[in-house]
Amino acid sequence: MPINVTMPRLSDTMEQGTVVKWHVKVGDKVASGQVIADIETDKATMEQAVFDEGIIAKLVCPEGKQVKVGDVIAVLAEDGESVSDAASASSAAPAPRGAAPSAAIASSAAIVSSAAIVSSAAAASNAAATSSTSPAATRTIVADVHATDVSGEDRMRVSPLARRMASEMGVELSQVQGSGPGGRVVKRDVLLAAENRSAAVPATRGAQAAANELVAATPSMIPAAAASAGAIVHGAQSIEVPVSNMRGIIAKRLVESKQQIPHYQVTMKFSMDAVLALRGSLNEQLASMEVKLSVNDFIVRACALAMAKNPFFNASWAGDRILLHQQVNVGVAIALPEEKGGGLVVGVVKDANLKSLRQISGEIRALGEKARTKGLSMDEMSGATFTISNLGMFGVDNFTAIINPPNSAILACGAALEQPVVRNHQLVVGFEMAATLSLDHRVIDGAMASKYLQSLKQFVEGPTMLLV
Amino acid sequence: MSAVREIEYRDALREAMSEEMRRDKRVFLLGEEVAEYNGAYKISRGMLEEFGARRVIDTPISESGFAGLAIGAAMMGLKPVVEFMSWSFSLVAADPILNNAPKMLYMSGGQFGCPVVFRGNDGAGGQLGSTHSWCVEGLFSNVPGIKIAIPSNPYDAKGLLKTAIRGSDPVFFLESERMLGNKGEVPEEEYLIPFGQAKVIRSGTDCTLASWGRPVHFCMEAAEEMQKLGISCEVIDLRTVRPLDIGTVVRSVKKTGACVVVDQSWSFGSPGSELASQVHRHCFDDLDNYVHRVHSADVPTPYATNLEQEYLPNARKIAEAVRSATYNL
Amino acid sequence: MTSLSHPTAGGTSVPASPHSVVHAKVYGDAEHLQVPAAAAHVSSEQMLDWFKQMLLIREFELRCMQAYQEKKIGGFCHVYIGQEAVAVGCTAAVQHKDPIVTAYRDHGHALARGMDPKHCMAEMFGRIGGCAKGKGGSMHMFDRDNNLYGGHGIVGAQTPLGAGLAFGCKYMDEVIDGKPNSRVSLCFLGDGALNQGAFHEAMNLAGLFDIPVIYVVENNGYSMGTAIARGTTMAHSLITKAAGYGIDGYVVDGMDVVGVYADMKRIADKCRATSRPAFVDMRTYRYKGHSMSDPRKYRTKEEEEVFETHDPIGRLEARLKTAGLLTDDSLKAMQKAVRDTVRDAITWSDESPIPPMAELYHDVFVEPWGPYTGSSQPAMNGGTANPPSMRTIDTKEELS
Repeated sequence: MPINVTMPRLSDTMEQGTVVKWHVKVGDKVASGQVIADIETDKATMEQAVFDEGIIAKLVCPEGKQVKVGDVIAVLAEDGESVSDAASASSAAPAPRGAAPSAAIASSAAIVSSAAIVSSAAAASNAAATSSTSPAATRTIVADVHATDVSGEDRMRVSPLARRMASEMGVELSQVQGSGPGGRVVKRDVLLAAENRSAAVPATRGAQAAANELVAATPSMIPAAAASAGAIVHGAQSIEVPVSNMRGIIAKRLVESKQQIPHYQVTMKFSMDAVLALRGSLNEQLASMEVKLSVNDFIVRACALAMAKNPFFNASWAGDRILLHQQVNVGVAIALPEEKGGGLVVGVVKDANLKSLRQISGEIRALGEKARTKGLSMDEMSGATFTISNLGMFGVDNFTAIINPPNSAILACGAALEQPVVRNHQLVVGFEMAATLSLDHRVIDGAMASKYLQSLKQFVEGPTMLLV
Repeated sequence: MSAVREIEYRDALREAMSEEMRRDKRVFLLGEEVAEYNGAYKISRGMLEEFGARRVIDTPISESGFAGLAIGAAMMGLKPVVEFMSWSFSLVAADPILNNAPKMLYMSGGQFGCPVVFRGNDGAGGQLGSTHSWCVEGLFSNVPGIKIAIPSNPYDAKGLLKTAIRGSDPVFFLESERMLGNKGEVPEEEYLIPFGQAKVIRSGTDCTLASWGRPVHFCMEAAEEMQKLGISCEVIDLRTVRPLDIGTVVRSVKKTGACVVVDQSWSFGSPGSELASQVHRHCFDDLDNYVHRVHSADVPTPYATNLEQEYLPNARKIAEAVRSATYNL
Repeated sequence: MTSLSHPTAGGTSVPASPHSVVHAKVYGDAEHLQVPAAAAHVSSEQMLDWFKQMLLIREFELRCMQAYQEKKIGGFCHVYIGQEAVAVGCTAAVQHKDPIVTAYRDHGHALARGMDPKHCMAEMFGRIGGCAKGKGGSMHMFDRDNNLYGGHGIVGAQTPLGAGLAFGCKYMDEVIDGKPNSRVSLCFLGDGALNQGAFHEAMNLAGLFDIPVIYVVENNGYSMGTAIARGTTMAHSLITKAAGYGIDGYVVDGMDVVGVYADMKRIADKCRATSRPAFVDMRTYRYKGHSMSDPRKYRTKEEEEVFETHDPIGRLEARLKTAGLLTDDSLKAMQKAVRDTVRDAITWSDESPIPPMAELYHDVFVEPWGPYTGSSQPAMNGGTANPPSMRTIDTKEELS
C-alpha cells in the first residue's frame, strides 16, 4: 500500500509549511529516519526525515510552495510495490490519517460561581473612571467599601431587597424617598412608604399584597391570588363566581381595616338648602362653560377646609406616633360598573383645600370617567389623607363607611332629602343630609370628631365660605 | 456523658494528632523541630517520647524537599502530617504542595492519591514582620484538589484535624500562632467535625458576619459593640475555606438582608472576595446593600504594633462595615 | 580512559564504550570513572528480551513523533530515542515491587515497566483508554499495577518524591510490619535537574535518613539547549555532587544495556541491603531534540553522528548477531512484530473514545463533594471505607 508523507507539524504553533528543498527524487530508495527534505516552518527551517522505508513514488509538493500541515507532500511505494501504481493510486484525494478529535469542551453542569455583581455605586464609579490607575482596557470591578457614586445620573437607585419588597407590597417606588447613599431606596424606606400611603388599589395591575402599617411587612409576604376566568356551576345549589382581583383586594384591605382600627361613628345632620341654592345659581352661570357642580363637590371642599382647624383628621396612626399630613388629599369613592368587574376605587383630589369648586368638580368628573373606562393610574389612586363616600345619588338615608387605611376617618354622606325640619321653632320643609363619620379612636376621640363636624357644618350650611 | 475540659488550642492539635497516630500506624509527623525540640510552638510536646523517632521526625530546613518526600510517602500509602513552622515557609515548597499534592489523583487518572496533611501557623498579629505573617488561604484556596481548614477555637481545631488526617485527600490546615494559647472546651470523648459545615456562633437579625479563623473573634467583639446600638449581628464561623459552606451563609443573609465578610488575607482575589461573590449570586434579591468586606490592609505586614493592629481586620473596622451595611453610619 | 567490558554468556566481549574525544567534549573528561566488579550473569533470553524491548521503545517513539506531527498528540512530547538502554537495563536490574518514578521523558520507562503500548499511546491521544484516562498526557505516565509513579512535568520535582517513595517502603516494612526493608526506589532525572534546589534537598534528606533511593541521572549532556558544561558545575564529575551529601556515586555507560543491567543490579542490591541511597551518572545520549519543536542547533551533526555509532540498539544487535542469537531474518521478523504492535496501539488509540465529560470533575478528590464526583481510586484506608468527612453540599438544593 502506498504510504503518504504529509507536511509535519514541527512546532505547536505551526499551521503551514514550505518544502524548501527536496533531497530525494522519484525512484530513490529511502530508509526509516532518512532526511528527505528541508522544511520551512513559522520558526525555523528544519530537516524532515521519513518514518518508513520504501521508494519515492511521487513528490506531490513542489519546492517553494506553502501547504497546510497535514497535506500530502510525497508518496512512498512500499517494498514490492510498483512506483507508478503507487503514484497513480494516491493521486486521488488522500484521506487524512485520522485527525485528532476537536477539543470542544462544553462546561459540565457544575456549580459555577458567576462573576461578582457589586454595588451599582461601584459600577457607576467605574463608568466615570476618574481614577488614574485604571487603564481603559481593564474592566476592574472594585468591591471597595469606599466606592463613591460619581456618575451623577438621574435614575432611581433601589436595593434589590427594597425592589422586591416594593413589588410584593404594592408600593410605588417613584413615590418613595430613598435614604441610602445617592438617594438609594432601601428596605426601611419602603416600609415607611407602605405605612404612609393610602389603600391604592391597582385596577389593572397583577396580584399585589396590601401594605398596611399594622401588617407585618416581611419580604416573604405572599401576594393575593390572581383572578381566575369564568364561573363554575356546582349542580343546582350555587354558582361559583371567581373573585376578581379588585374584589379580592378590597376584601383583604377592608377586613384588615375593620380588624385593626377601633372604629366608632358620629353622625350629624346638615341643612342643605343653602348648598342647593348656591349650586343651582352657580351652575346656571357656568352652564356655558360646561361645568356642572355636584353637591359632592361642595362637600369635598368643605371637608378639606375643615381640616385646617382639625389637623388630626388629616393624619395617620403610625404605631408610636401620629403623622399629621401637610397635604390635604381627599379621596373620593368611585363605583365601577359591573361590566367592568364592579367594585370601587378611590380617586384622589390632591390639595383639595387649595382648589376651587370648579377645579374639584372637574377633577372628580375626570377621575370618574377615567375610572370607568381606562382605569386610574397609581398616582391618581394614592395619597389620600381623608376619604368621602357618597351614596346620596341612590337615595340612601345614611350609612357608615369603613376607614380606608392609612386614613384616620371617612365621611359617609347620605342623600339630601326633602323632609320636615324645624327652623326658628317652626316646622317647615327643607333639605337635610345625614353624614356619618367613621373614626379611628386611636387618633380622633369623640370631642375632636364633634368639633370637626361643627367646622364642616359651618362650611356646608354657609357655603359662600367655600367660594373664598 | 463525657467529661468536658478546658484545654489550649495547641493541646487540641496534639491530641488530634496523637489519637490518629495511635489509631493508624500509617500516620506520622514530620517537620522542623517537631521531635527533640518538642515543637517550635510546643504543639508536638511529648510525641517523640510516645511514638519514637521513626514516627515523629525532625527534618532539616528544606520545606520543598520534605514536602515532596511526604507526598511520595503518601503516594506509597502512608499518611504523613507535615508541620510547616509557619505557613509563610510553605512558599518555598510551593511546587510540591501545589503542583503535586492536589493534582496527583487527577493526573494519574485516579491511580495515586495523596492523603497528606500540611499544617502550620497562618496569619499575622505577632509583630513577626512581613515575611512571617502570610495568610496563605489568600494564595492557595484557588487551587482545585486541596481542602483547606482554618479553625478558630480548640474544639474545632481538634475535630477538624482528626477529619483531615483520617481523610484521603490533601489538606492544608491553617492554625494561628496567636491562638495557640487560647483555651476552650473540648470533650474527652472522640469526635470529628466534617469539612464544609459552618457554625452559627451568634444569632442575629440585622446583619450577617461571615468569617474564618482568628478574625471570627474580632467579629464577636464587633457584634457585642453593635448590640449596644441595637444592631443585632449573626456571626458565622465558616471553619473551612474549601469546601465552603455557602448554604449556611445564604440562609442567614436571606434573614438579615445585610452581609459583612471578614477575611484576614489581602482583599484582591481572596476567599473573602469569593464568598462575597457567591452571596451576591445567591442572595441578589435579598440584599439591602452590597456585601461589605473587611480584610487586612493591602500592604506588606508592618512590624510596629500600632501599624500592625490597624493592618488587621480588627473589630473597629468590622463595626464600621456593619454600620455601613445596615445604613447606620 | 578505562573501558567497561562485560563478558557475555558466549564469552566474547563487547566493543569499548564511547569514551571518544567527542564523548569527552560532551561529558567532560571521565577520569573518575568507577570500574564495576565482575558482571552479573546474563542469559540469552534476557538479552533477546531487552533487545525486543528497546526495539519496541524505538519504534513507539518514532511513531509518537509522527503522531505529534499529525496533530494526534498535542502539547509537549519528549521522546526517548537513544536512551532506551537506560530504562530497559535499570528496570531489569530491580524487582517489580520496587517503585519507579521519572520525569517527563517517560514513555520508555512506562513501556519497560510493562505498560501496554495501547494505554501509553492512547494517553497521548487524550483518550479514555489512556493510562490516566487521557487526563495526564505525555508527561504523566502512571501505572499502579506496575509500580510506576509517574511521569512528572516540573524539572526536579520527582526527586523528593523518589525519596518519599523509598521512605514509604522502608517505613511500611520496618515500622508497620516489623521486618527489614525489602525495596529500593529508582528515581530518574535528567542532568538538567541537578541544578534544581528540590534535588539537593532530596539528596540531603536521603543521605540523612538512610533512604534506599537510587537517583539515576540520565546524563545525555544537554539540558534542553544548554550543554551540561554551560549549566552545571563539576559537569565532568557529577558524582562529586553525591559525595557532597555522603552518597555513593557511580558512572555507568548508558549506551550498553547489558552494562547498564550489570552495574545497576549491583547498585540496587547494595542499596536494598544497606538501605543507603545511591547516585548514578548514567551516560547516555538522545538522538532527537529535547522535545518536538527543537531544531537541535546547539550541537553539531558530527557529534550526533558519533553517538549514532553507539546506538544501544545497534550495539546489542551486533552483539547478538556475533553470538549467533540473531539473524537478519529473525531481526526483520522482530522489527515487523514491533511495528505491528505499535501500529495496533495506534489503531486502538484512534478508536478509543475521548473521555466522557463526566471525567472533568472526577478524580479531583477521593471523596465526592460539591461538583466533584469522587475517584476510581481504591480505598486508601487499607480496605475499610472512608469515614464520611464531607457534608455533601448540594448548592442547587439548598440555595433557591
